[in-house]
Amino acid sequence: MGHQWGMAIDLDRCTGCEACVVACHAENNISTVGEDQAALSRAKHWIRVERYYEGEFPDVTVKFMPVFCQQCDAAPCEPVCPTFASYHTSEGLNGQVYNRCIGTRYCANACPYVVRYFNFYNPVWDKPLHLQLNPDVSVREVGVMEKCTFCVQRIKAGEVQAEAEKRELKDGEIQPACVQSCPTRAMVFGDLSDPESEVSRLARSGRSTKLLGELGTRPKVNYLPRDSWHGNEIG
Amino acid sequence: MATKSAEQITIDLLRPLSGISGRWVFAVAVLAGVVVAALSAFFYQVYAGLGVSGLRTPVFWGFYITNFVFWIGLSHAGTLISAILRLANATWRRPVTRCAEVITVFALSIGATFPIIHLGRPWLAFFLFPYPSERGIWPNIRSPLLWDFFAINTYLISSVTFLLLPMVPDFALVRDRAEGVKKKIYGVLALGWTGTPKEWHRLETAMHIMAIAVIPVAVSVHSIVSWDFAMAPVPMWHSTIFAPYFVAGAIFSGIAALILAMALLRKFLHLEEYLLPIHFENLGKLLLVMSLLWFYFVFAERLTTWYGNESSEMTVFWTTQHGSYSPLFWTMVFCNFLIPFPFLAIKKLRTITGTAIASFTVVIGMWLERFLIIVPSLSHKYLTYSWGTYRPTWVEITITAGTFCAMALLYMIFSKVVPIISIWELKAGQHLKTQAVRLVVKSSEAGAD
Amino acid sequence: MPSPPVIYGLFADPESADRGMNALHRAEIKPKKIVVMSAEPFDDYSFAKMDHHTPMPWIAAAGGVVGGTCGYLLARLTQVAYPINTGGMPIVAAWPTGIVTYELTMLGAVITTIVTLLITTRLPNWKSKLYDEEVSNGKILIGVLDPSDAARAEIENRLRGAGAVKVKATNPHH
Repeated sequence: MGHQWGMAIDLDRCTGCEACVVACHAENNISTVGEDQAALSRAKHWIRVERYYEGEFPDVTVKFMPVFCQQCDAAPCEPVCPTFASYHTSEGLNGQVYNRCIGTRYCANACPYVVRYFNFYNPVWDKPLHLQLNPDVSVREVGVMEKCTFCVQRIKAGEVQAEAEKRELKDGEIQPACVQSCPTRAMVFGDLSDPESEVSRLARSGRSTKLLGELGTRPKVNYLPRDSWHGNEIG
Repeated sequence: MATKSAEQITIDLLRPLSGISGRWVFAVAVLAGVVVAALSAFFYQVYAGLGVSGLRTPVFWGFYITNFVFWIGLSHAGTLISAILRLANATWRRPVTRCAEVITVFALSIGATFPIIHLGRPWLAFFLFPYPSERGIWPNIRSPLLWDFFAINTYLISSVTFLLLPMVPDFALVRDRAEGVKKKIYGVLALGWTGTPKEWHRLETAMHIMAIAVIPVAVSVHSIVSWDFAMAPVPMWHSTIFAPYFVAGAIFSGIAALILAMALLRKFLHLEEYLLPIHFENLGKLLLVMSLLWFYFVFAERLTTWYGNESSEMTVFWTTQHGSYSPLFWTMVFCNFLIPFPFLAIKKLRTITGTAIASFTVVIGMWLERFLIIVPSLSHKYLTYSWGTYRPTWVEITITAGTFCAMALLYMIFSKVVPIISIWELKAGQHLKTQAVRLVVKSSEAGAD
Repeated sequence: MPSPPVIYGLFADPESADRGMNALHRAEIKPKKIVVMSAEPFDDYSFAKMDHHTPMPWIAAAGGVVGGTCGYLLARLTQVAYPINTGGMPIVAAWPTGIVTYELTMLGAVITTIVTLLITTRLPNWKSKLYDEEVSNGKILIGVLDPSDAARAEIENRLRGAGAVKVKATNPHH
């Protein structure tokens, strides 16, 4: 079996700093939408840090977790796309083919995690930010759906490099932008089909749980919530 | 109904085709103005992007899909009523069938524009069409939107022909009484119809076959439209009740639209002698049955949701029952059930005006129902952090208003160009009635011997 | 093609039209040469009971089968041509294939019915042919195509005797 990419998020280490959010914007050419559009909840944060406050001041607890495309093995967004813009790759990723997307937004409705984003307008980068665009990633036009790809451009680059050097990929060699930028190393990316990889180890941990796993989507992201969160509940 | 001579029927039912009044021109101008505004709003949206609408994360479907489902639902009036009443041989159907079939064709055409209007990249709408593209890829048959494509097109072709076929003898009638250019145009439309027994028999056989075919098609169309929602794991969408619920709701809104159309036609085209109180009474009774059926479905759905007490579903449940969507929800219940019920159930109130009032509120209530199926569920999905709201903008409101005006406009133009009551079918009904009377008289005379 | 030579009577009601038809039968006119036209179908009267046999329902059913086959092949072959995994569902999913097959079955039946209708009635046919605008005034036209010169007078008498309001004839040397 080929690579099956997955991630593990240790919520004990996550501080909610949102460095991952910024890194994702930078790596994947995601434009900011401006204050007014953000107020209309049209911001395109492929990864977002969800915050839940519990209790009254001063006994407030905050739970937060990064939520992004879970690359589900039984993704509800895939069968509903009429043009195969949303499909499953052989490496276990949910691929989004921008050229096929005609913008029916059915996938976004079907996604229980609400991790699919729509380009309501053509993206705009105020100068000089346009100089910072990543040449490895396309820019999506108005009317197209987009979402986290596990930085598939980095995955491909790593695989190509390993092939050129005639060697296997090392665990931890490929890091999506969010994983790379996390200051507490709360996020781990790796090959779930390799039982020795760090992500597989963490997935086997007793703390590991899946977000909305009961819906049967078979997501690839393993959350390790804090023990203080009423046992293993999250959200 | 007093038996009218064939000549009288022809004169009465062809009268609307001769001449237009200033009042008609004014009404058409106003309606056309709104339609033009709606088209402009749509082109603006294509130019600027869907951002000009009120859609947002997580409510990605709003007014446009509401309109889509509403108009497709309304289109179940005609063909279903006309087909079912034909097969049941209900003699009172004869003045009603073409009014109903026209609603179907126009409502379906309007509804079918929305899958294009709501697209992010509508210039690529042809990707939905199964054609051998150079990329070697075909559309995804697993998507309910593809089922929509096939179902709606099948229904559209079926109902257009179901409308056009019986119009041919009436075109011949207009052709024979017209002069000059009008005669030529209707001559072309009449296809050279002369009225031999072969032509009549083939026509009636074809209509009979199509009446049988169009009923399962109509049922499948709205089931498939409902599956656009039911196939997604969204709270209060993912339910098996959707298909029958939507079909019943469609027939419900369709009958209401038909009653409204008939009431207006009767008044403005002076068809008081053809669209009789008994027609409104009978349709009113059908509307009452559908209203009760609608209530039954809503009750069954909400009882099972409430009893099941699943947290995501209950969130959506309470937001419609008590929360921010409750004003719309209770308006809907009033419009669909509480207000129509007395007008339809009490015989004294089941007059033309009474049924028209009930139908008007039902049309409003059913539009609200479509909205309330879509938006509250999308606003409250599983992760509470992702909950959102929705408010339409002028673009969506203008386009919605445009569809209602387009429907009225198309109907007004149609009734001036084609007899809105099928003349030959009415005449055939008359002579069948006199024939039946004659047979009764004959048999009673024979019995008296 | 100019209209063929004909003698016909215009009848004001279906009962007299029936009598006219019976009169023509008694004169032993070949049924193929008798022409009837009316502004509404008179299925329950004997004068209109001609050309009633049609295999149209069977043809419609056959059209449905053809449509259904096309639908099944479309669904199956297009999915197999570029197999893409979506949500773990099979490449040729049974239920969606069934839905597309069903819709195209109904479409096939409908289109076949219409085509059969147009072919068997030979419509549209805008060439000038036998027709009298009195028919749309409610008259029923019953006539004889290509009558022999000898029979002309007799046919006219029979039609008048049955109650024809008017009898018209076209000149054989048109």
